[in-house]
Parts: sequence; structure tokens; C-alpha cells
Amino acid sequence: MSVTAQPASRGPLFAGHSKLSDRIGEPLLRVLTGLAALAGVGVLVWIAYTVFNQASPAISRFGFGFLGTSAWDPVHLRFGAVDFIFGTLESSVLALLISAPMSVAIAVFLTELAPRVARRPTQILVELLAAIPSVILGLWGIIVLGPFLNNTLEPALNGAFGWIPLFSGSASPYGMLSAAIILTIMTVPIVSSITREIFDTTPSEFKEGAYALGATRWEMVRMVVIPYAGPGIVGAVILGLGRALGEAIAVTQVIGNTAGIHASLFPPSGTLAAQIASEYQGATSNLQVASLVYLAAILLVITVIANAAARLIVSRVTAGREQWAP
Amino acid sequence: MATKLIRKGSVLLAVAASLGLAACGSSSGGSGSSSSSSKNLTGAGSTLVAPIMSQWQSKYNQLKGVTVTYGAIGSGGGIAQITARTVDFGASDAPMTTNQAASCKSCLQIPWALAATAIAYHVTGVTNGLKLTGPVLSDIWLGKVKTWNDPAIAKLNPGVKLPSTKITPVYRTDGSGDTYAFTNYLSHISPQWKSQVGTSTQVHFPVGLGGKGNSGVGGVLSSTNGSIAYIAIAYVTSNHFDDAAIQNAAGKFVAPDVSSITAAGATATSIPSNNAISIVDPPASAPAAYPISTFTYAIVPTKSPKANELKPFFDFAISAEGQKYGPALEFGTMPARVVSAATATIAKIHS
Amino acid sequence: MGAVSPETSPLLAVAPRDRRRRVVNRIMEVVASIAALAAVALLLLVIGSVVVKGISALSFSFITQNPAPFGQPGGGIANSIVGTAELVGIASLIAIPIGILIGIYTAEFAPSWIGNSVRFSLDILNGVPTIVTGVFIFGLLVVGSQQSGWAGSVALAIVMLPIVARSAQEVLALVPRSLHEAALALGLKRWRVVLRIVIPTAAGGLVTGAVLGIARVAGETAPLLFTSSVFSNLGITTSPSQALPNIPVTIFTLSESPSPTDHARAWAAALILIFMVLVLNIVARTFHDRSRRRLRG
Repeated sequence: MSVTAQPASRGPLFAGHSKLSDRIGEPLLRVLTGLAALAGVGVLVWIAYTVFNQASPAISRFGFGFLGTSAWDPVHLRFGAVDFIFGTLESSVLALLISAPMSVAIAVFLTELAPRVARRPTQILVELLAAIPSVILGLWGIIVLGPFLNNTLEPALNGAFGWIPLFSGSASPYGMLSAAIILTIMTVPIVSSITREIFDTTPSEFKEGAYALGATRWEMVRMVVIPYAGPGIVGAVILGLGRALGEAIAVTQVIGNTAGIHASLFPPSGTLAAQIASEYQGATSNLQVASLVYLAAILLVITVIANAAARLIVSRVTAGREQWAP
Repeated sequence: MATKLIRKGSVLLAVAASLGLAACGSSSGGSGSSSSSSKNLTGAGSTLVAPIMSQWQSKYNQLKGVTVTYGAIGSGGGIAQITARTVDFGASDAPMTTNQAASCKSCLQIPWALAATAIAYHVTGVTNGLKLTGPVLSDIWLGKVKTWNDPAIAKLNPGVKLPSTKITPVYRTDGSGDTYAFTNYLSHISPQWKSQVGTSTQVHFPVGLGGKGNSGVGGVLSSTNGSIAYIAIAYVTSNHFDDAAIQNAAGKFVAPDVSSITAAGATATSIPSNNAISIVDPPASAPAAYPISTFTYAIVPTKSPKANELKPFFDFAISAEGQKYGPALEFGTMPARVVSAATATIAKIHS
Repeated sequence: MGAVSPETSPLLAVAPRDRRRRVVNRIMEVVASIAALAAVALLLLVIGSVVVKGISALSFSFITQNPAPFGQPGGGIANSIVGTAELVGIASLIAIPIGILIGIYTAEFAPSWIGNSVRFSLDILNGVPTIVTGVFIFGLLVVGSQQSGWAGSVALAIVMLPIVARSAQEVLALVPRSLHEAALALGLKRWRVVLRIVIPTAAGGLVTGAVLGIARVAGETAPLLFTSSVFSNLGITTSPSQALPNIPVTIFTLSESPSPTDHARAWAAALILIFMVLVLNIVARTFHDRSRRRLRG
């Protein structure tokens, strides 16, 4: 990058270029690209400013107590975020608890186990899962998954593990479990593709060394690949978490959209993003609108922290290694 | 089969081609009626009025060439959007509260249709026409009556075999005129409801499952055995839901239909200057009236830049021509004095 | 690792221990394979549902007609197909040039700390929940005016920008430095190097980023929910000053309906949308592979 412009040593080859066009073109491109970069950063700041500004009536009314209050009553104007914060964290963490091990397994399969010819097609298929629009996953969740949970899976879980509070109570086609499963499907491709990329960067000398010492394939993966990729996997999981925390549409379609904290996974619940999607347009008072935007502000802070952490970890791990994949 | 697949494949190819064309920059759009913006009206709100609105839109487009765009986002949304002036008119089944009227800044309410909120249920083994009362409904949505074979329900329905299925009350998550009519009715019937929950387009329900819009509530209802929901009557008919007969003040169990809704509408004798008419829980003098009926309103600023387009549209809607679509969609007939109050209100709109 | 049982002789000890290691190895291999297959199966399950249920509801009239009035059969989503193309088209016209300019800025002009901060900001922007972007644009462009195609497009452009820009940054960074430095050494100004050498070399990769951005926003619902959801179903809307009908919001609305007819329409619309998105993804992948081969030489 630090190649400074050489003193003009124009050969005849470039004699045709007028100095005028250089004098305009060079700064023009510099300014245009600089402005674009400024716009890219600026819009982030602008979003944050606008959201906090519009939430300010609720912020000044409820203060930080909003974060710990369990209430959503538009008639008596009592609002609080704790139910939705809890729902957001619960659905996303559950989703990642399933999708993280699954993703690591997929990455192992793709880098170590699959026959060479199968690797690329499988990888593409898994990554295409990330391209399915969330509204379609939600549609599938409403029409296919919901009835299955209500009629089959939840009664079965309740029958077998009903003594665990998580699986207590009666089944419901809309609820936390449904949301968690949809979010699992959404996060698997994200986490697995990053994990696979990091696995791919494991130096082959390390792997060969392990094999030379007589390790089986699993021992090699467990003692070389996973420790080497560890921080990167954490980063990938947090990145998936960021996606799950912010998903509004698919979650609002399947979660049932209610306030309340339940021990069981079956009853309908709510998340920050889903609550905004379901109530923002129909809010009955200015305070309710501001409270919904307050939820948006909380969501923004949570996802920015998650993404920043993930990016810092991933970039530290992959620093210096070429990585470009869509 | 093969040819069918080929045909469907070519449909997708055509889509891909059109997408490609559009992605190549020029937003050529396509043929069709693209009308100039002065000929457009945009409204949003009540999902209860959406079925008849859908008829009005196509008929009015044929008659006058005006495109009326309507978003069924819920009555609360209708009031919010017209207050923010993001639409030309709002639509709500609930009259504006004093606060809402103040922030809407001299808005008018025009009653333009008469409909009802039905109590629909989905319980395997129970057929249409279950009998329920206001107090029982209140106890169901407060979570006090929990199963379908609860004595409170059984007592009203001798001879009906009720299962022990858990009751799942369903409610609207968006601001809704149906919620308003329903909670207004329950507040009339039950003091506990009035103090604990209250009356609004959006309330905090102690128990139950949420659905967005009448459509969303219907979706939850049809997928959940044991569920019960309040839902605009047109959606009950179009989806063949079972619905309940509700006991009115005269002690009669009345199912919602055109005649019982019209009978409830007829109890609107005195019309206040802001046209906010409540006809829930009508007096015992109207034994044929369905108790959860409601007028639904268009809401417009008195001074609107679109006054010249809005007035003829509203006039059309409340005219015999506009109202004739009502009965097929289970809308009642508005009494003459309400129509004339609406006409007088429409005349106040100016640009 | 398990301990060797002391009572077995050293010579024999190797065998059971090895066998256990081999068994564990085998189990873990099977588990990993099953997980990978399960993920693929899930994909096939979802896409399979869409294809099976969508095909039966799909017809020519479904893509050429506008929606039927409430409760009536038939109708289609022609207005939504046109509207989505227009929304995505306008969003692309905004986001693709800006995104590529940002890529050029960080690759060519920015000191590395600024380049890193821009990159980091874009990653954060990419992580902003799209529903929050919707709330932002609602407050900015809808309040006091109306929902419109413009508002929807700007919201989509914000979602698209970081995808295009990040991918432009990555691919521009892959353009061989030698090529670059040779041109500079010959006395070419940097802006000419960028226009004549860097961009043509990286063109395939830039297209990949742009197409991926398009694929991502074509299916986005949340940014449109408050900005372009109150639209006319009477006819095709072309003016972006009106709210533009679009496929994602249409699917969203239909998905929550109780009517089986509406569900069938939702599946057919989903099939069209998923087809568009998958085709775009495959196009992007093809460009990606080709340009990567080229850049690697």
C-alpha cells in the first residue's frame, strides 16, 4: 500500500494523457471514494442517533428501569423490556446451542471426511441454506413446523421429559421452541461456513505431524484442528448469534408474540425484534411507539456488541490469511 | 405431468428473465394501469373493513378511475398513520380516544360500515353454535375458565359433549378495532375486566396466543385445537370457522349475522358530534341484537390536500351502491340517521 | 484419553486401547457425517416443501395477474414481481456504486487504520438488524410523507451496502500488487490505474458482490414492513413515489392468513422468490469461482 507515486518519468507510451484530466480525475476519484466511505460509516451513526432520538420519550419516562421491568400494557401505559430481552436471548442461545456443534461437525465433515468430489457440492448446498429468505422459513414454520411441533414433537418431549420444566405444559404450534428451531436453521450455514474456512487454514504440517505420531483422524481434529481454530469458532458462533438476535420476520411469524417469561419452551413468547415487527405500525400512543423504538435501541446495542466482538475475534484469528468467500 | 412441469419451468424462466431485465438497471415496469398520483388515495387501518374495502376499491376504480390503496394494518395503525399523515385516510373500528383526537389535530370520524366481532372457536368434536355469555368470555380471556368442559360452559350448553381440551384464547397483537369492540363489550359486562384489562385497541391480555390482524388470528385459530378467538365476522364466513351465539341483555343467545348486526346498529339513537357511537351490549329492548357489534370509521383531517378525491370516495362508500356489498360479507345495514350524520361530516372536509 | 488398564500386559494393552481409539474415531466420523447430512436434509426439506406446495399453485396466470379481491379465487402476484424488481433495482443503483467506491477507497487511498475502521463499521452495519433499519427509514422518509418505493429502496440499499462494499474491498485487495506497481512506475496516475487496471481485473469479483447483495435484499421483508407495505393490489404500480407491492411482504401477509387458498398463494410466491434468490446465488458463485481462478493466475 505504501507505494508512493513515482516521480513522473513518462515514456512516450503515456504522452497522450493530458495533465488536465489527471489534475481533475485524481482528486475526483479520491474525494468520491472518500465520501462514499464516509457515507458508509455515517449511516451507521445516523441510524444509532435516530433510534435513540425517537426512543427518547420512553427513555426519559422509564429510564434504565425499562430494562428490568416486566410489563407491556398499552392501556395503562406500562412498558418494560425484560420479557423481550429474555425471549431474544433464550431463542438465540437455544438456537446456537444446537447449531454450533452441528456447524463444527459439518466443518469437520467438509474438511476431513467427505470424499473430495462431494465437498464442494455439500458446502454449496449448506451455504444456500443461508440464502433462503427468512419470510419463507417463517412460512414453513407456520404451515409445516408448527403443526408438527404441536401434534408430534412437543407431546413426545412432554411425555418423555415432562418432569423437566423446559418440556412441561401443553403443546402449542406457536412458541419459543418453534422460533429456536427456525433460528437454528438460519444460523447453521453462517457458523459452519466460517468454521470451515478457519479449519481450512490449519497448517498441513500440524496435521501431518499429528498423523505421523499415530493419531486417528478424530484425535487429529480434536488435538490440532479444533484448538487451532478455537477462537475462530467462538467468533463464528457469536456472529451467528448476532444474526439470530436481530431476526424479526421469521420469529414474529412463529413465536406467538406475547410478553411473559416461561420456564417451558412450548408457550408463545416474544423477542425484541418480533415485538417491533408486530406492533410498531399499530401502536396506539406516542409513548408506545417510543417504547417500541426503545426496544429497537436495546436490540441495536446488543447486536452491535455481539458483532463487534465476533469480528474482532475472527479478524484476529484470520489476520494475514487470505479469506474471501461470499 | 411432464408437459405440466415443463410449463411450470418456463414460468420460472420467464420470471428469471424479467428479473434479469429489471436488474439491468432500467425500471421499465410493465404495462398496466399506472395512474398519476393525483388520482390515488392511500388509506390504512382496520382489518375488519378490509373485505368490503376490497370491493369498494375495484368498483370505484371502474367507476371513477381512481386507485384506492388500502393497507389492512389494524385500527390502531390506522389512527397512528393518519395522525402521522403518512396516509390520506385512516380507518378504525374504534373511535379515537380524547388523546388520540387531540394529536390527530381536528380529524373527522365518518361511520361508513356496520359490522361485528364474532367469537369463533376450533375445538375438535364441538360443532357450530355453542352458547356463551359475556361473563364466561371474560373468565376465559382472564384465564379463569381453563378447559372446554368447565361447568360454566357446560351449564350453558346442555346436551353438547364438551372435551377436556385446554382453552387457548387468541387475541390480536396489533392495535385493532376488534380488540376495541371486544374489550369494550367485556368492560360493560365485567367489572374485573374493566379494572384489570380495560378498553382499547390494544390491551395486555393476561393469557393466550397472539395473532397479527384478523388474518393472523384466523391463522392461529385454524392451527390450534382448543382455541377461541374474537375475529371480524367476514373472516369467520370466508374461512368456515365455527362461531358462538352470545347472550344479549334481553337474555337471548344471538349469533352474528346481517339481521342481528343491523338490529344492534338500530340501537344507535343519539349520535354525538364526533360520531363516536358505541353499540356493544345493546339494551334489553333490542332482543334480536348481537351484542358485540360495532360501527367502523374513516378518519380524515378536516383540511386535506386530497379533499376533492376523498369526499366522492366516502360518499360512494356510504351510498346504497357502496353498502350493497355489505350483506354478502356479513356487514349490517347502517341506520338512516347514521348515514345522514356521515354525509354531514363528509361535507366538512375541505382542502 | 482413557488410561491403560494396569492389569493387562504391555504388549496386549495396545490392542484394546487402539480398538477403542478406532471406535471413538469411527463414532465421531459418523456423527460429523450425520450432522452434515442433516443440514443438507433440512435444506432439502424446506426447499422441498416450497417446491411441492408451490408447484401445485403456480400457473402462468399467477405471474401475469394481479391479486384477486378479498375471498375470491384466482389472481396472481404480477404487481409484486414488478414492484420487487423495481425496489431491488433502485436499491442496487444506490448501493452498488457507493459500495464499489468504498472498496476502491480502502484498497487504494485510505491509510490502513482508516481502512480498518471503515471495514469494521461496515461489518457492524451488516449486523444491524434489518427491522431497525426499517424503523430508521420510517422515521426518516415515511413520517410526515407516505410509504413509498423510494423509502423501501433506500432501506434495502442500506442492507445491501455493506455486502457490496465488503466484497469489493476483499476482491480489490486480491488484485496483484505487482500489476499495480508496474503501472504506477510507468507514471500512470493512481486514478487511471484504478479505472484501467484494477477494476477490469477485479470485475468478476465486483459482480459477485453486487449479485450477492441483490440476492440478499430481494428476499428481505423487515426493511419493507414499515416503508413499502401499504400498497395497491388493484394494478401494477410503477411510480416509486407510491408504496411498491413486493413479494416478501406479500408472502408475509399471506402466510398469516387462515385461508388455505392464501397459503397456496404464499407457497407459489415463495417458490418464485426462492427461485430468484437461488439463481442469483448460483450466478454469484460462478463469477466468484471464475474471477478467483483468474486473480490467482
